[in-house]
Amino acid sequence: MMTNKFKVLLCIVTLCMMPGFAGAGTVRIGLMCPLTGSWASEGQDMRRIVSLLAAEVNKSGGINGSAVDLVVEDDGGDPRTAALAAQKLAAAGVVAVIGTYGSAVTEASQDILNEAEILQIATGSTSVRLTEKNLPYFFRTCPRDDAQGRVAARYITEAGYRNIAVLHDNSSYARGLAEETGRLLNKAGRNIVFFDALTPKERDYSAILARLRATSPDLVFFTGYYPEAALLLRQKREMGWNVPMMGGDAVNNPDLVKIAGTAAATGFRFISPPVPADLAGERGKAFLAAYRAEYRKEPQSVWAVLAGDAFNVLVEALRRVRPSAASTAAYLKNELGGFPGITGVFSFDVKGDRAGDLYLLYEVNAEGVFKAGP
Amino acid sequence: MDQLFLQLVNGLAVGGIYALVALGYTMVYGVLKLINFAHGDLFTIGAYLGLTLFVGMGLAGTLPVFPAVLLTAVMVMGLTALLGGVLERAAYRPLRKAGRLSAVVSALGASIFFQNAVMLVWGANYEVYPEIMRPSTVIFLFDTGVPLIRMLIIGVSLLLMLALYGFTHHTRTGTAVRAAAIDQGAAALMGINVNRIITLVFLIGPGLGGVAGIMVGLSYGQIDFSMGFSYGLKAFTAAVLGGIGNIPGAMLGGMLLGLIETLGSAYLTIAWKDAISFLVLILILIIRPTGILGERTAEKL
Repeated sequence: MMTNKFKVLLCIVTLCMMPGFAGAGTVRIGLMCPLTGSWASEGQDMRRIVSLLAAEVNKSGGINGSAVDLVVEDDGGDPRTAALAAQKLAAAGVVAVIGTYGSAVTEASQDILNEAEILQIATGSTSVRLTEKNLPYFFRTCPRDDAQGRVAARYITEAGYRNIAVLHDNSSYARGLAEETGRLLNKAGRNIVFFDALTPKERDYSAILARLRATSPDLVFFTGYYPEAALLLRQKREMGWNVPMMGGDAVNNPDLVKIAGTAAATGFRFISPPVPADLAGERGKAFLAAYRAEYRKEPQSVWAVLAGDAFNVLVEALRRVRPSAASTAAYLKNELGGFPGITGVFSFDVKGDRAGDLYLLYEVNAEGVFKAGP
Repeated sequence: MDQLFLQLVNGLAVGGIYALVALGYTMVYGVLKLINFAHGDLFTIGAYLGLTLFVGMGLAGTLPVFPAVLLTAVMVMGLTALLGGVLERAAYRPLRKAGRLSAVVSALGASIFFQNAVMLVWGANYEVYPEIMRPSTVIFLFDTGVPLIRMLIIGVSLLLMLALYGFTHHTRTGTAVRAAAIDQGAAALMGINVNRIITLVFLIGPGLGGVAGIMVGLSYGQIDFSMGFSYGLKAFTAAVLGGIGNIPGAMLGGMLLGLIETLGSAYLTIAWKDAISFLVLILILIIRPTGILGERTAEKL
């Protein structure tokens, strides 16, 4: 029986015997994720998901006959650790890096990997800035922050609301979403009858609600987080005001219903990337089944599942073209189109952003459960 | 008109909670000249204890809701009062002769201790009062729906404040509290046991704070371990606004701050709500540096 320590030692010895050189018949792929720190649960899920998919690929013959060798580095959810992790991965001779989660953390690794001419596919980094730098080898499988505003404006316009009250909480995320949605709604000829911010972490929003009511909107769009959304719903009901309310993806937390009470939360809608359990499509369902069979639980976060899709598109590219950053990047941008991923159909635009959107419209049903809309 | 009425009710309900917490600050300051920074955290503990006692003891099943909530409130009042007494013994009495700065540092330490203790015992997530505890009745007055819970909060806080006023102004012990506030040495010479008076003040203040904590839970549903900080800050402001050390001043200051906040965000701008309330505070302090009712009035006991 080999102890874990012995295994680690053996790995180190093996690595020392082939310095900086990927052994014949293997393709080295790096995974950078927060295995420790405050995002550790996402990072560990990223590792579970990518290892599962790598094992599947290896079982079915690898990439054109060569086995996938996954090299995992911990970025600790911290930009400085991420810079070191990126250097280690570059030194280990990986052909591409998957990850990582937070935008600031990804940003710290971007230039290092780009200079080393290593393709990078980030998975949970939604900050717009990351793909505005025109780095040739940077991609991401998650939507950008401004995509959500587009989707929100589309849903609101299609549902036929004319007078909309927009409320945010002055955080850069919520404010950005509110401004983008407001701008698009204005362009679509809708009236923004109210636009202002509340102070988060307070308890009493009745004064704000009374003021909102005076502008008689037919929809209230709140872009902040779930604790405030829940209090707004509850206090709105206490006032006997039943205007429909909608939220952004920061309200996607079951505690929303607990705080608001089921009666007040029923009918509340929000847009959000699908929770893993709602993954539709053949590949999504197959993935969920495989994950459950291997780990006996559910994947928690969709951002971690997007690491699985990063792996899938990478393997697809490596099967078609030479494993250099330039040729894989060109393949992903120009030829990947319509690739069926776990979270839906994939293609990348010229900036390396995922084309199309990932968002679903959720509604709280009478039992207080989040149900994905059509 | 109905809009104004609704906002007034909202303001008074917010202000009633500020006032109850402010009383704790002002009573301690009156007697000890000490700002008890841990008071806001005793208020948080009151909110958490209320939840734990109600849910943990299964009161909901055995008693009708209203007496069950009332019983919980009384128990919480007793427990937070006890905690206040212990706090005084452990953190303030040993430093009574050590100068005011040491006591302030000790108060800050106690505040950090309580806040972290709450986080470790109950967790860092939001806790939620169960639906069954929270009355959701809406009363219609002047064609406006007013939540019953808001009226109850205003009523209960006024009742508690009146009781406290009656106690300090119409009983012998209350007179002794006021005497100790004016001059501890002279009060001791008159045969008042000043140490017991101080303990009493540390029982009453946190007791009222604990009830305010439950009221926040009942009315807004969610509580978290750091809420004592923002409520403590507002209540302390209210105490200064009314004149710190002055009991009717704290009541007036609390109600006023609640009204200014609510009306400011209702008729001026929402995002600038806090800026407006503190601007009013600064203006009042420029005109009356000792607060609206003055720090303390010379009186004959």
